[in-house]
Amino acid sequence: MLSPYGLDLVESCLTCKMRSERLFCDLPAAALQSFEAIKYATAYPRGAVLFVEGQAPRGIFVLCKGRVKLSICATDGKTLILKIAEPGEVLGLSASVSGKPYELTAETVDPCQVNFVKREDFLRFLKEHAEACFKVAEQLAEKYNNACHEVRALGLSHSAIEKLAKLLLDWSTRNGEASKPEPRLRMALTHEEIAQMIGTSRETVTRLFADLKKRQIIQTKGSTLLVHNKGALKVLAGAV
Amino acid sequence: MITHRPTADSCLDCPPGSGRQLCDLPDGLLATFDKLKAISTCPRGQVLFTEGQRARGVFVLCQGRVRLSITSGEGRRITFHIAGPGETLGLSAVLSGQAHELRAEALDNCRVALVQRKDLLHFLRENRAACERILQVLADDLELAYQRVRQFGLARTRRGTAVSVH
Repeated sequence: MLSPYGLDLVESCLTCKMRSERLFCDLPAAALQSFEAIKYATAYPRGAVLFVEGQAPRGIFVLCKGRVKLSICATDGKTLILKIAEPGEVLGLSASVSGKPYELTAETVDPCQVNFVKREDFLRFLKEHAEACFKVAEQLAEKYNNACHEVRALGLSHSAIEKLAKLLLDWSTRNGEASKPEPRLRMALTHEEIAQMIGTSRETVTRLFADLKKRQIIQTKGSTLLVHNKGALKVLAGAV
Repeated sequence: MITHRPTADSCLDCPPGSGRQLCDLPDGLLATFDKLKAISTCPRGQVLFTEGQRARGVFVLCQGRVRLSITSGEGRRITFHIAGPGETLGLSAVLSGQAHELRAEALDNCRVALVQRKDLLHFLRENRAACERILQVLADDLELAYQRVRQFGLARTRRGTAVSVH
C-alpha cells in the first residue's frame, strides 16, 4: 500500500521481508502473531515528533522504515542528538518497561513507517512471550552500551575536531565503509544537527569541515562525503 | 585476579523485600539463582572488569561499593556511577555479547556474587519472571546512562567544561 508520504507500507509483520535481519522483529511464529494483533502500522512525514522527553510513556514504536532522531534537551533549549535510529530499532522501550517518563525526544528525519504498540498491550505481550522478553533485554543492553559510548565521546574528547573526526569514523563503520581506504558517506544531517550530535555550535562544525577540506582530509560533492585521508582523520580522533 | 570460593552464603538468607534489583526474585527462582552464583570477596582497589574486556558473567554486588568509570587512552577518567549493594554489574555486556563499556573497581572491601554468562542467559531464557526483572534493571541502568549523557553533553555545550573528570 502506498502511503501519503511515498512509503511502501508493510501492513503485516508476517509478510515483512526484512524481519529476519532485525533483532526485535525476528520472533517465533506464535509471538509474531500476537504482536501483529496489538500493533498499529502508521506512516509519519519528516519532522513528526513520536514522543517527547518527560512525557508519560504511551507505548513503544518499532521503526520499520525511515530514520528517527533521538535527542535530549536542556532547559535553555539546547539540544543534543544521541543517535539517529535506523529501521528495526524499538523506540520508547525503557520508559515503557519502567513506567517512567520518556528520557528522549524522538523525531522523524525521513518519512517513516512505525508500528506502535500501547504500553499495556506491550507489557502483556512480554509476559506471554519469553522469547520477546529476551529480545527486549538484548535491545536495552545495546542501548545502554550506546549511551556509555556517547558518554565517553562527550566526556573524554578534548576538542570539537576530535569529536567530529570520531563521528565521521563511526559513521563509516556503520555504513560498512570502514575497511575501504577512502570511505564514502552520505551526509543526511545538516551542520546544525551534526553540531547537536557532538555538543558544539553550528558555526564550529562549518569551520571544521572547511578546515578538513582545506587539509584534503575530506572531500564533499553534494551530499556525499569522501574521507580522502583516513589516517589523518584517525590521528585527529585520537585513534592512533 | 579474583578468586571465587563458593561459600555457605545463600541468597535465600538475605532479608526479603530488600528492594534490591535482581535479588528480590520470587522464592523458587531465587533458589535457582542461588545455585548458579559463586560468592567472591574482592579487596578495595580490585578491578572486577575493564573496558574492552569480554564479559565472563554478571556481578551482583552483595556488600561494599564499586566505582564504574570510563577511561580515555591517556588515562583521564569519568566516574560514571558508584554502585551499591544489590546492584548488578556488567549486565549489558553479558546480554549483548559485546565487550564491557565500563571499568568496575572496588571502592571498599566487597562481596560479590558472580554468575557465569552462559548460566545467566540460560536462566533468563528459562524463567520469564527473571527476564522481566532484568528488563527493569536494564531500564534503570539506561535511565542512569541517559542522565550521564545529559550531564556531559549539555553541560559541555553550555559551559565548555566536563563534569567529574578525574
